[in-house]
Amino acid sequence: MTGSSAHPLILYLRLFAWFSLRHLRSHMGRALAVLLGIALGAAVFTSVRLAVHATVGSFARSMDLIAGAADLTLVQPGGRVPDALVGPLLRHPAVQAASPVLTTYVRPSDQDEPFLLIGSDPILDRNVRAWTAPVGDATAGFAWAALMSTPYTLVVGEQLAAQFGWQADQRITLIHSQRTAPFTVLAIMDSSGLGLIEGGRIALCDIATFQELTGFMGLADRIDLILTPGATQDQIASLQDLLPAGVVLRAPSERKESGLGMIRAYQFSLTFLSFISLFVGMFLVYSLVALNAAVRRRELAVLRATGASRRMLFGLFIGEGAFLGLCGWLLALPVSSVLVKFLLAGVSRTVSTLFVRVQVDTVVLSPWEVLLSLAVTLAVAMLAALQPAREAMQVAPREALDIAPMAALAPRLIRSMALTGLVMLALVYPVSRLPSLPAVSLPGYLAALLLFIGFALPAPWTLRMLGRLLSAPLARLGGQPAFLAARYLKQSGVQTAISVSALITAVALFTALVIMIHSFRGTVALWIGQSIAGDLYVRPKLAELNNFRDPLAPRVKAAIKNLTTPVTLVPMRRMDLRINDHEHIFEAMDYAAYTTRSRFIWMGGDRQRIEADLIAGRGVAVSEVFANSTGLQPGDRYRVRIRDQVLDQPILGVFRDYRTQGGAVYYSRHHYRQRFDDDDWNAVQINFSAPPPARADALARVRTELLACCGDAIEMVEGAYLRRAVLRIFDETFAITTVLLLIALVVAALGIATALAVQVLQRARELNTLRAVGGSATQLRRMILWEAGLIVTAGQAAGLICGFLLAYLLIFVVNLQSFGWTFIYRVDWPALLFALPLIFIAALLAALPAVRLALSGTPAVLLR
Amino acid sequence: MLKIEAIMPTLKSSLLIMILLAAAASAGSHVDDYAQVTGPCNLSFPADHGPHADYRTEWWYYTGNLTGADQRRYGFQLTFFRTRLKPPSARRDWPEPASPWRSDQIYLAHAAVSDLSGRRHLQDERMTRPVLDLAGAEHAQGAWKIHLGTWQTRIAPDLHQLQADTKDFTLFLDLVPGKPPVLHGAAGYSRKGQTAERASCYYSFTRLQAAGELTLDGTRHKVTGTAWMDHEFSTAPLQPGITGWDWFSLQLSDQTEIMIFLLRQPDGSLNPATSGTYVPPTGDPQHLREKDLQVTPTDFWTSPHSGARYPIGWRIVIDALHCDLTVTANLPDQEMRTPRSTDVVYWEGSVRAQGSKEGQKVEGLGYVELTGYARPFEAPM
Repeated sequence: MTGSSAHPLILYLRLFAWFSLRHLRSHMGRALAVLLGIALGAAVFTSVRLAVHATVGSFARSMDLIAGAADLTLVQPGGRVPDALVGPLLRHPAVQAASPVLTTYVRPSDQDEPFLLIGSDPILDRNVRAWTAPVGDATAGFAWAALMSTPYTLVVGEQLAAQFGWQADQRITLIHSQRTAPFTVLAIMDSSGLGLIEGGRIALCDIATFQELTGFMGLADRIDLILTPGATQDQIASLQDLLPAGVVLRAPSERKESGLGMIRAYQFSLTFLSFISLFVGMFLVYSLVALNAAVRRRELAVLRATGASRRMLFGLFIGEGAFLGLCGWLLALPVSSVLVKFLLAGVSRTVSTLFVRVQVDTVVLSPWEVLLSLAVTLAVAMLAALQPAREAMQVAPREALDIAPMAALAPRLIRSMALTGLVMLALVYPVSRLPSLPAVSLPGYLAALLLFIGFALPAPWTLRMLGRLLSAPLARLGGQPAFLAARYLKQSGVQTAISVSALITAVALFTALVIMIHSFRGTVALWIGQSIAGDLYVRPKLAELNNFRDPLAPRVKAAIKNLTTPVTLVPMRRMDLRINDHEHIFEAMDYAAYTTRSRFIWMGGDRQRIEADLIAGRGVAVSEVFANSTGLQPGDRYRVRIRDQVLDQPILGVFRDYRTQGGAVYYSRHHYRQRFDDDDWNAVQINFSAPPPARADALARVRTELLACCGDAIEMVEGAYLRRAVLRIFDETFAITTVLLLIALVVAALGIATALAVQVLQRARELNTLRAVGGSATQLRRMILWEAGLIVTAGQAAGLICGFLLAYLLIFVVNLQSFGWTFIYRVDWPALLFALPLIFIAALLAALPAVRLALSGTPAVLLR
Repeated sequence: MLKIEAIMPTLKSSLLIMILLAAAASAGSHVDDYAQVTGPCNLSFPADHGPHADYRTEWWYYTGNLTGADQRRYGFQLTFFRTRLKPPSARRDWPEPASPWRSDQIYLAHAAVSDLSGRRHLQDERMTRPVLDLAGAEHAQGAWKIHLGTWQTRIAPDLHQLQADTKDFTLFLDLVPGKPPVLHGAAGYSRKGQTAERASCYYSFTRLQAAGELTLDGTRHKVTGTAWMDHEFSTAPLQPGITGWDWFSLQLSDQTEIMIFLLRQPDGSLNPATSGTYVPPTGDPQHLREKDLQVTPTDFWTSPHSGARYPIGWRIVIDALHCDLTVTANLPDQEMRTPRSTDVVYWEGSVRAQGSKEGQKVEGLGYVELTGYARPFEAPM
């Protein structure tokens, strides 16, 4: 070595280039395999984060823009706010600005894509939310004046105008659940302020026009308030005195928080899944660095003997891990740029379908995300190199004279590792029972991590035991090669254990996700079959997008009541309510009529008694999600404010429900109508009395009848179509999960191939000794294949057990804590029986290059 | 006494606001669709203190100078504007049933206090449509109430009551007319140009005795002083080619009042429609023509807010009245800016006057309005 007086960093870099880089370059194949694994892991991690954050960010931005500068907002749970409150509010000393706002989704008559229409008073709203029309148009600056003085005019967002090719003065026709009406486009909004909501795919109209279109005269969805600077708490509190019963003051951010809360669990589970790929990639780095540390002990000893410090050796191997991480991360960048486009479309579609509507066009690459992705990749890679680096530190200078220095685990260490693993496994259950943060199942994920580690740590001990127990039977079964393979297992070191651990992780993850998805799909299919078993569903146009807020028009109700075909009607009154900050769906429904075709799947209790009480209006039924999210169980009271009254009923029972809007509560519609004097229908289920062969004709007749009278105001969905659609959405939702799983499996396969190659190479001297003393190439190949087979079998068996347990954790802990629901545990045996042999064969095939490598040189050269 | 032939005597910034709004909103509708001022106004009080909703624009304009019990001096402005965005005939196109928010008018209001002793100018603005009791005009118990939120003027036969509260000040004033309303032009029919419809109906209370309460920085001040009120409605827009105007209302110590209106043209000359009104102690108005008036700026101030350069000192010579006055702004920075409504920038401020009239020394207080200095004004036609 030169330059002992050089700066330590320069010395380190020189040594790193000379010792580590040169070695990696001379074993390019292995290094590339590891880099590919790391790159895939990092790319998945980065892309998922970018896609999820772009989606969540877009939603949060839209919500912030909609909330504007409001300090407080007035809403009426279960209804709308009287807009006559605006005058008294504006005269209140605590109020600087008050703006009534209404929103709804509408659809152009000649387009399929709906968009958000916002109705407000452009003058009162200007202090809360800003928007501008482009300069150049003589009247655009005063578009707000024309907007309020000319009925049925609107100002449209730039993106919306571009999407539909709309220009100023253009006449368009918009469809709303209550009316279809012609509009005139006054101006195009700039892409700033309000013009950025939903990516600029919005339109703004005057509150008068909005009320005339929707028929909500005298009502607003909410009234946003800006408080007078310096308003006292007493003044703010006195605002409540102005409000009629049922109207409440809330923070404007509640809608955003509620939406983000719904997305959070999905966001977290995707991030966790994406991290799995990186986690599996960690085994790859470990394998390679550990191999280098093991086979270069002599060189390390020489380095130590010539003055290199322990810290220097430690740094070399940590540096090797970091180098692999950095190169993998760089390689991940182009992969991410492709992957993120696919993921962005999938994630935003899923979030829109399941939780809240989002419009995401682009991913903004924030420096924070770039740095985080680099930091996590480097951290994972360096963490993987930590143990080999520590081993390298321990190399003594005298080992320079040893003939075959080898890393080996002391039996005591093996036993203590096994014991630690068992302790971790024992901790899985208590950890999983720890209380969880809302929507983020930290105990669940922690328990899963304990499970993985608990299965990985005893791997060396298990392999040794297997080797000991299996060597005799295997000798009988496969001759000397099988015997030697079993003996190898018995003497196997940390390398083999790590390979097996990687395999356990991958197989466990695969098994668990297969079981979870199968259980989920099976339960959802059961739920759909029992709970959504109606023949025809009628709802207002765009009802789903508008959260079923608008009732069916009176003429539609009349037409349905007067249908000439014999039918059973199950009308539903639905509203979004809040209890202890928990938003949920409240539905008033005639359960007796509902049971002619459908039924809830109860999660306990006396089904007949619950249903009788529910029909008699003696209480409410709550969904599993509602019960788990609020902690309210059968016997507890459900107390909620609906407009100016409080509904206070006992909870009768809990049923399974897989809607993603925060749980559901059912109450008798008959009693609801009596109590609240509200006979509106938000949707109606129509069931035909005719038997199935004649049912299709009856359905067609009703469709024709309703289309003729009210086709402009309603959507009709056949039950069979709806059931298929729900399952299709389910499958689409899990498409991303499946892709992430497959990528994790590819990384794991790379890990197995690398690990086997490493083992073979590490034992090159031993293998060639066997060859030199008369072992044939075929015998050696068979021996290595036996070894690979044993390792893969051991890994798969443990992975399968781990996977069954992990599936249990995912279903009954992670899903429960994240989404509030559980499913019926069902193992997808056909899928497992098909996939596991494939993994076994793939792993054996992965061993072939290793065999070829081992026998590629002559024994003489290798034994020299 | 000269015959008055005033042209839009209170051609204030309000006109700019109104015309811009009306032009934007009433695209497609014709001026003829509105009620027109084309002849005698036949003003009758108290009915005509109220709004005239079929005309395009209208305003109630109060300015004045006040003194506190502690001798601190203040100026104030409180103005209510009404503008019709669509002609009455457009109501035929309203949906049935129409929303309670449906309206074809807007109310605006500007309020300002010049704290002359404290050397500061405080201002605020309001704007809304006259629905759901947010703004409007109502007649009850023999008085008209013009209001916008908590700001209002109540006009009874012998008392005007003003009320405005902003984040910086609160103003409650009782104004007692010292003279009957002055009808400008021909019994209130005030010509603005060459054609008959280029005119407005216009009257003023030129001397109102003010008493009330002004709250500044949380401290209430009893105040007294004098005020001026204009009420005017019209449909015709301003004469084209005018870049701005300088308006003076002066209340002199000899119990007379002078109003002067200078219409500035791009070349710096005054439009022939420039004129003024002299109100003698008896109250009979006397018209002042453009050639009677010599107004020379003597001092200037550049606004650090808008960059506009305003005259803030003048010499006014009116030969017909043997009057020579020096008029000085009581505070240079009395610029009004309305970013939350129409974004119009103008100067509206308290002034003092001293000089001679018919050989006698006189002094007085008043208000001056200067428009078109921040940016040229092009009246759309």
